Amino acid sequence: MTELSLAPFSLAPLPLAPLLIATLLWPLLLGLRTLLQALIAPVRPRLSPVWLLDWLWISAPWPALALAVLGADGSLRLDAWLLGGHWELDAQRRLLLAFTALLWGLAGGYARGYLAAEQAWAAAGDRDARGRLLRFALFWLLTLCGNLLLLLAEDIASFYLGFALMTFAAYPLVIHSGRREARIGGLAYLVLAVLGEGMILAGLLWGAGTGSALTLSQLRATLATAEMGLWMGLLLWLGFGVKAGVIGLHLWLPLAHPVAPTPASAVLSGAMIKAGLVGWLSTLPLGMSAVDGRFEGLGLVMLAAGLIGAFAAALLGVAQRQPKAVLAYSSVSQMGLIAVLVALGLLQPSHWPALSALALFFAAHHGLSKGALFLGVGISEQAPRWPAWLLWTLLTLPALSLAGALGSGLITKWGAKTLLEAANEKTLAFWLSLAAVGTTLLMARTLWLQWKRWRETGKMGLTSSREPRASQRPIASSEPNPAARASDALNMSAFKPPHASLKLQTDLSSSISQSQSQSQNWNQNRSHRLALTGADDQRLLAPMPLAWLLTMIAALSLPCWGGWLTGDFPAGLTDGLPLDLADEADDKLGDDLSDGLEDGLVSEPPSEASAGLSGGLSGDLEGMHSGQCASGFAWPPLSALPALLWPVGLGLLLAVIFGWGLRRFAPRLSSWLPAGDLWWPLTACSHWLWRLGRRLLRWLGAGQAAWITWWNARERDGLRGLDTLIGAEDWLRRQLPLLLMAVALGLAAALLLSAAHRPPWP
Amino acid sequence: MSALLPLATLASSLLTAVVIFLLPELAVRTRTALNLAAALIKLVLVIGMAWGLTRGQVYAFELPVVEGLSMVLQVDALGLTFAGLSSLLWLFTTIYAIGYLEGSPNRRRFFGFFSLCVASTLGISLAGNLFTLLIFYELLTLSTYPLVAHRGTPQALAAATVYLRYTLSAGLALMIGLVALQVLAGDLRFGQREVLAALGAEHEAVLVALFWLLLLGFGVKAALVPLHGWLPRAMVAPAPVSALLHAVAVVKAGAFGIIRLVYDVYGIGFSAALGLLDGLVLIACVTIVYGSLRALTQQELKPRLAFSTVSQVSYIVLGIGLFGPLGTIAALAHLLHQGLMKVTLFFCAGNYAEELGIHRIDELDGVGRRMPLSSLAFTIGALGMIGMPPVVGFISKWMLGMGAVQAERPWVIAVLVASTLLNAAYFLPILNRLWFRPGPGQGIGAWPAARAPSRLETSAWLLLPALATALLSLLAGMFAGLPFSPLQWATRVVDQTYLAL
Repeated sequence: MTELSLAPFSLAPLPLAPLLIATLLWPLLLGLRTLLQALIAPVRPRLSPVWLLDWLWISAPWPALALAVLGADGSLRLDAWLLGGHWELDAQRRLLLAFTALLWGLAGGYARGYLAAEQAWAAAGDRDARGRLLRFALFWLLTLCGNLLLLLAEDIASFYLGFALMTFAAYPLVIHSGRREARIGGLAYLVLAVLGEGMILAGLLWGAGTGSALTLSQLRATLATAEMGLWMGLLLWLGFGVKAGVIGLHLWLPLAHPVAPTPASAVLSGAMIKAGLVGWLSTLPLGMSAVDGRFEGLGLVMLAAGLIGAFAAALLGVAQRQPKAVLAYSSVSQMGLIAVLVALGLLQPSHWPALSALALFFAAHHGLSKGALFLGVGISEQAPRWPAWLLWTLLTLPALSLAGALGSGLITKWGAKTLLEAANEKTLAFWLSLAAVGTTLLMARTLWLQWKRWRETGKMGLTSSREPRASQRPIASSEPNPAARASDALNMSAFKPPHASLKLQTDLSSSISQSQSQSQNWNQNRSHRLALTGADDQRLLAPMPLAWLLTMIAALSLPCWGGWLTGDFPAGLTDGLPLDLADEADDKLGDDLSDGLEDGLVSEPPSEASAGLSGGLSGDLEGMHSGQCASGFAWPPLSALPALLWPVGLGLLLAVIFGWGLRRFAPRLSSWLPAGDLWWPLTACSHWLWRLGRRLLRWLGAGQAAWITWWNARERDGLRGLDTLIGAEDWLRRQLPLLLMAVALGLAAALLLSAAHRPPWP
Repeated sequence: MSALLPLATLASSLLTAVVIFLLPELAVRTRTALNLAAALIKLVLVIGMAWGLTRGQVYAFELPVVEGLSMVLQVDALGLTFAGLSSLLWLFTTIYAIGYLEGSPNRRRFFGFFSLCVASTLGISLAGNLFTLLIFYELLTLSTYPLVAHRGTPQALAAATVYLRYTLSAGLALMIGLVALQVLAGDLRFGQREVLAALGAEHEAVLVALFWLLLLGFGVKAALVPLHGWLPRAMVAPAPVSALLHAVAVVKAGAFGIIRLVYDVYGIGFSAALGLLDGLVLIACVTIVYGSLRALTQQELKPRLAFSTVSQVSYIVLGIGLFGPLGTIAALAHLLHQGLMKVTLFFCAGNYAEELGIHRIDELDGVGRRMPLSSLAFTIGALGMIGMPPVVGFISKWMLGMGAVQAERPWVIAVLVASTLLNAAYFLPILNRLWFRPGPGQGIGAWPAARAPSRLETSAWLLLPALATALLSLLAGMFAGLPFSPLQWATRVVDQTYLAL
């Protein structure tokens, strides 16, 4: 892989090594900066408010984006790194890297707006807000770094490092708010993540040890040929399945996603879940001819788990009350569909090249669309002052795309359908269509919940003037969204606010400022802070709506730039494509918005472009597969649309029926099926087990103590025996003269007595 | 020259001990300077010997005691591994101890025995035959007793008595084994690995019995279950002593003794042929899991770390038991890695106790804000213990896993993963408390203010060694591929010594 092929651009490719190192080092350097800011804070508390989430912070994934767009294919070897570093960039990694970095960058921009209230608080001298912000800023960067490393790594150690770093650094993002739900979500996340890490470690060690493998491709080859390869594959599937939300291991998703700050949920669900998929693609022997038959069992299990996940998550998700929980279940469902595609790679290795291209495209599509949906939840809670029709049209677009009615979703669905039919899996294709019904249901539910909240907050906004809204802001240190907080206030009893002084109520600012130790400070900075909080920033290009819009555009226009990134593409065709959003500067944005939207949604790219795209996506195909794939990734012909769109229609119909029926007949369904479904019975069970284990350990400890006591007692016995002996000796010594005298006397007496009979001398 | 260097290295600590005993109690500055100078000189000497050894120099010293038995000091790559570890960590521990014991009584006694302890550790590492090893091994026992009992409280005295009871019985077992081996095979120099194998089949039963007897002797210091009882009790000692016991001297001396026993007295091939290694692997696995389980139930920081040591040191024994070069590499690398990580953890635990008076785990809430640098060091150490890359613990675990598969014992991976999960289960809650829980009174309020009016969170004497060892354990993992990283050194040792067989 050391030969350098030209990047798919007329632009000259940049050298790989510096870009690669910059990609991984830049987030770390920024993290170091944040760490330094954290360390000097206690020393100089009066240091002017540091803007933690500044443009430099947002720029963390930019080198990665540059690498995805400009870097040449190739690899970099670092012998000194861990067990021998080997980082690589190829077509597959390029697409993953591009959408991951894009999503991270946009979510970063969104976070700046989302956490504006907290930043204002930190600037006003609230140490807790400042601490939380510092933590968020630092671990955001670390998580990003881990995510990028796992995408670029080719050696196993770096890959595992990236995966573990991403997993553990995301924990503080989940528990950001510090509320009870957040801690439960964080616990679920951590427990399952640690279990997953354990299984991954076992699979990697076993596989790598068997084949003396140092790189992921060697590991795949080992798994394909090793005697116990199936079991290694099973461990790796389950281990990465925790991240990818395989049904049964998905429990953390619906618990962690709703409680994390919205930008963090977006990257969790959009980019980090994909790490599980990347793990499967990197370690399982997919599409290898040597695996015939032996991996069939694993393939069937994966397939079944994927399908069950797709449907079960849809059913569970519909019952959720929080839009982000619904979206989390939707992620489980969608990842189930991707898992079906991966499983087919084990069952029908000959179709894998086309399937892998589709799975990657699906991943990118889901990542960006789900990112846009998550970011949209925050938008509907802190709505910019746009006309309602525009806002809700925009909010609906990514939902339609995910349901498969628009843009990248439509292409994915068409691709899946044609591919599965080519692979003689018509039944499966039908099941996937049915799963799309479930997705439509989930999307409808999400939008309905968002709509309800938006209406509620809208009413509150009408009844209350600006002043009370402003007075809620102090509470923003525990929950940055005034709107979300207003709705949270309705079921406040469930929360335990972390600070006793911040009793969450919506009373006047005066009482709060009395209860706050920094009241004076707060009053001084009040106007300053009001100018800076997120919801008051009503410009079109405020960070939050801007980032959201860009994510949506990136998601919808994915068919255009996705293929452009991964394959050879004639330079002349780039003119027909929408602007590259990857390195879009924000200056011209207002004009380009509508263009990009039109290009991405309405007008179909020229037919040459679609041919080039399909060539790009299935670039590594040969012979018959390439022809088959070329038809697979084009835009579907009009005649195929009814076959593709009926699930959406059916889903909408079902949504209406269910919505009415549930309200009418089972209004309490939501409380029977809380987010995290199996987590709750499992927690109860594990508490019981834990108590049992504690008792067992205590029993063991007591046994050991008894054992020691017994030995000590024996030792005491021994000593006592010795004492007795010494005592006897003592007695003997004291009585010795007497004894000797007695003996002497006795002897003398004996002699005398014997002498009485005969004389002692002869 | 060739005899001078090992002697000088040994003397650098022994003479320091003697001079410190002669100095008056109040000569603090002289004592500090002497300690630091001796530690530095020793480190330089050990590095010099390592350099010479890679260039093919031979260092040996021999003093006949009686006919057929002599004191032998000889420098080989394996011994230098241990010597390097102890001299490097002694430097850090000395610095730490100076800060930790500032203003406390009986410092002359403490530092005198401290130096003596390290001198005997060095003697163990440079010993060229079993007899010399045993002499220094017993000296180590005697010189650590006053350190454990240093505080003089009834609890400390009781712990020291338990310690002495365990280690002296172990010494007795060693003595019997030594004598029996002497009778069977004469003066056994390390490096002559064929002697016992050449004794013939009729002696095998005796040799097996002697192996377990000697293992009993070394296993007490290496804290193998069920011989580990002294270690958690010895936690009452001051923090630098705990660091010394756990990371540098005592526990490692036991593990090193087992390495010598398997590789240099019996020979790895002969041990495998006698079926001794299976038992060793089994004991190690039981110890790893049992130690972790016990650590999970501890509510105080230092006992939890102590049981973690019980578990982690057995990684070394496990590596020895895995027949094959990778297992040996893992064992030797972990000897160094565990030292770096564990000493960091104990330094940090000492810092918490010294600065904030914290002993229990549930008191650690929010300490990360009050003492960020110590907590950072602790985090690095704990993540390393769990086996998170890029900290060195990952390298050990990886090599052990490789070795297990190579030795056709893939089930050992299950033990490693179980240990990883258990380590995560007892370290991650601590990290969560440190960083993500609010502290008492939302800040400094409930804790005593900083001791010194400095910018650092605690005295620099206490903070810097912890940071240095944490940094080293991070760098040693990140750049494990560099020529003189612990992993590469271990590979070199195994390449030169054991693959030559």
